[in-house]
Amino acid sequence: MSSHEYLVEMRGIVKRFPGVLANDHVNFGLKRGEVHALLGENGAGKTTLMNILYGLYRADEGEIYIRGKRVKIRSPKDAIKLGIGMVHQNFRLIPTHTVVENIVLGLKEVGFVLNHKKLEQEIRELASSYGWSIDPSAKVWQLSAGEKQQVELLKALYRRAEILILDEPTSVLTPQETKALFNAIRRMAEEGKGVIFITHKLDEVMQVSDRVTVMRKGRVVVTKNTSDTNPAELANYMVGRPVIFTLQRKPMLPGKEVLRLKDVYAMSDKGVLALKGINLRIRKNEILGIAGVAGNGQIELAEVITGLRKVIKGKILINDVDATNKSPREIMELGVAYIPPENLRWGLVANLRVVDNLFLKAYRYPPYSNRVMINWRKIYDMADELIKKFEIVTPSKFTRTRALSGGNLQRLVLARELSGIIGGGVPDLIVAAYPTKGLDVAATEFVRKTLLRYREMGSGILLISEDLEEILMLSDRIGVIFDGRIVGEFKAEEADIERIGLLMAGAKVEAA
Amino acid sequence: MTYSRIASILTTVIAIGLAFAAVAGILTAMRLDTYRAFGVILAVFITPRLLLQAILRGLPIVLATLGLAIAFRMNFWNIGAEGQIYWGMIAATGVVLAHVYYGYLPDLLVLPTMLIASFIAGGVWCLIPAILKAKLNVNEILTTLMMNYIAAYFVDYLIYGPWRDPHGYGFPLSIPFPKYAKLTFVAENPSYTGLILSIILAAMVYIIFRFTKLGFELRVIGENLDAARYAGITIPRVLMLGSFLSGGLAGLGGLSIVSGIIGRLRPRASPGYGYTAIIVAWLAALNPWLIIPAGIFFGGLLVAGESLQATLKIPNAAVQILQGIIFLFIILGEFLKRYKISFGGGRGVR
Repeated sequence: MSSHEYLVEMRGIVKRFPGVLANDHVNFGLKRGEVHALLGENGAGKTTLMNILYGLYRADEGEIYIRGKRVKIRSPKDAIKLGIGMVHQNFRLIPTHTVVENIVLGLKEVGFVLNHKKLEQEIRELASSYGWSIDPSAKVWQLSAGEKQQVELLKALYRRAEILILDEPTSVLTPQETKALFNAIRRMAEEGKGVIFITHKLDEVMQVSDRVTVMRKGRVVVTKNTSDTNPAELANYMVGRPVIFTLQRKPMLPGKEVLRLKDVYAMSDKGVLALKGINLRIRKNEILGIAGVAGNGQIELAEVITGLRKVIKGKILINDVDATNKSPREIMELGVAYIPPENLRWGLVANLRVVDNLFLKAYRYPPYSNRVMINWRKIYDMADELIKKFEIVTPSKFTRTRALSGGNLQRLVLARELSGIIGGGVPDLIVAAYPTKGLDVAATEFVRKTLLRYREMGSGILLISEDLEEILMLSDRIGVIFDGRIVGEFKAEEADIERIGLLMAGAKVEAA
Repeated sequence: MTYSRIASILTTVIAIGLAFAAVAGILTAMRLDTYRAFGVILAVFITPRLLLQAILRGLPIVLATLGLAIAFRMNFWNIGAEGQIYWGMIAATGVVLAHVYYGYLPDLLVLPTMLIASFIAGGVWCLIPAILKAKLNVNEILTTLMMNYIAAYFVDYLIYGPWRDPHGYGFPLSIPFPKYAKLTFVAENPSYTGLILSIILAAMVYIIFRFTKLGFELRVIGENLDAARYAGITIPRVLMLGSFLSGGLAGLGGLSIVSGIIGRLRPRASPGYGYTAIIVAWLAALNPWLIIPAGIFFGGLLVAGESLQATLKIPNAAVQILQGIIFLFIILGEFLKRYKISFGGGRGVR
């Protein structure tokens, strides 16, 4: 292999999708032995660019050089041959197969009959060289998210990838797992590999990368050495304006209790126990943040409270009223607003108009309808007001909802849930499940500010998030959920990231 | 008009065109005179007398399709319109027989009573699978389909048994309906009454879709069941109400057969109107106004089939083949609207 300084050079890459210019004459270079962060908001074109490099898309214009040689990458197969490996945000593994089987899947060299012993030995050695202690004979479904990611990386490394693309790799990891990943990434760079690290988190850029390229609206804004920049400057590049990082959380005395869960048990969709005796309470003017790795009962918790999931044991009180196993509608009418996860799946109807989704709940109450008929006039008037008030950017209220960007979809959900069109006034309880997941910086800021504003106006808020920083920023109290139980609770002032991280990972820590 | 709207209409037109082309191929292969055959089909739609007949034959299709539009709107795959039609016929005939033998109703109220009875009978027949789905999560495609056979055989039983006309020389027929029990309200030709009935009911379905809470809920359930649950919509209630209306309209379709087309009940009185309605529902994209011309189009094909048989000795089955091919091409068109075919190694389809 040549010792060309640049492993990858992409020049003048243009990629058009119907209606958008996803990549607008992008130049990008990856040096040997560097970790190169690719920073930008959602929709900035980072993933598109990398999908082009990995052969999933083809560029409309531009040239790609690998180790100084011009190449045409038509498919991931070509990319793999060139020594490129990509770890996607959602893992592409076969859960019922073992680690080894997943890693060698599709490799011709290993032959038809697998020599398990030899392969296991090889993979164990490869893993341990990066500080991982994964069991090659384990089935993938038994692994944690962090371990699955290791399998994905091993898959690329086993194919001798020199160019590794990691698409938002930390979004599923605990703080400890993130640290381990960063160590491994540094190790790969030391071996002379090049790592491209796609992210929108500034602190990760500062921690792990040598250089950083910032993209905005399909263009490269800047490429810099990480040591020559700082988070505030990067955020500025990324958003195009200065960003306020710390939101002011006014000290407030919590008011009367709006939610109490007493020893609540519930099943997951798969029929296994997902909540195993949850106790918690929330008062007015208070945000309770629930920290945890995805899949430890968070969604079930939100659904139990909002009436979408059956409680099999225990009791839920909302505003001192027994709300155990009440219907979603009855709970809504008790003053509960719900910001659901993956709003396009759970909370919005993509094929309906914006106005229909704004009134997905309120349509049934006067003055928007009588017993039978809907009063569209009233709804249309109010919709205009909501669109303005919640800064929803849409061509019109009659636009199909699917055409809106992620940030605007979430603004739509907030407008519907919080504006008071259901029942009037401020909701007593807001259940917010992953409210900023996948949103760009501006929309994230909007959602967080909105939640804080409602806290001041008197709502009690249950905030479920994977983003520990967000939880620390917004919450008055923090509960850590693991395996269907609240395994620790902290006041915001006394929270200790180290300990929260350990609890999230299931470590037994003595309560303080 | 939006791009997708135009594309949608265009694919439908192309689908029908391609279907006719395919049928031309079949007719040619059978050494039949394709030009004359198409001439006969065209004549149905431009000769007033035949057009009125097409409207009449299309009536049960239109009514059943209006019902299907409601069910399909909420993703309730009611393919039991045929059975619901039969129950509409049974109820309508039952009212007539009750009146003729034990009548105490004024004659003028017989037809309105028949309308109500056939609506309820068809509605209940569709309500049963809806309840099974709401309570036990039983797949409605199977139940509605199976219940078609039950309904059709029950008509056989009635006509070969207790409802056979005692003066009918043993033929499996009910007594002929008296005049006040037939769709001859507006004019001697029942087509006019039928057309007016279609327009009124299409308007009602349109109003349900556009302006009522029920219509909104049907749509939300059809588009995203999870979101409907989340929004607090009482799904079983909507499911049952929607199905009742759906079956009820098909039941009226059944009434239109016995009091409009045949004038009495006989076994197998529906040559598959309820199945044709499924095709029409797709063709009209569940739009209640488009359902009327689309239904009449298929009614016209039935009329054409009979005259083809009479004039050119073309088997009636050819027309059924045409129907089937049209449906096939419409489904293909739907597929093509959703996906982009790329030839060769062209990648980059999102």
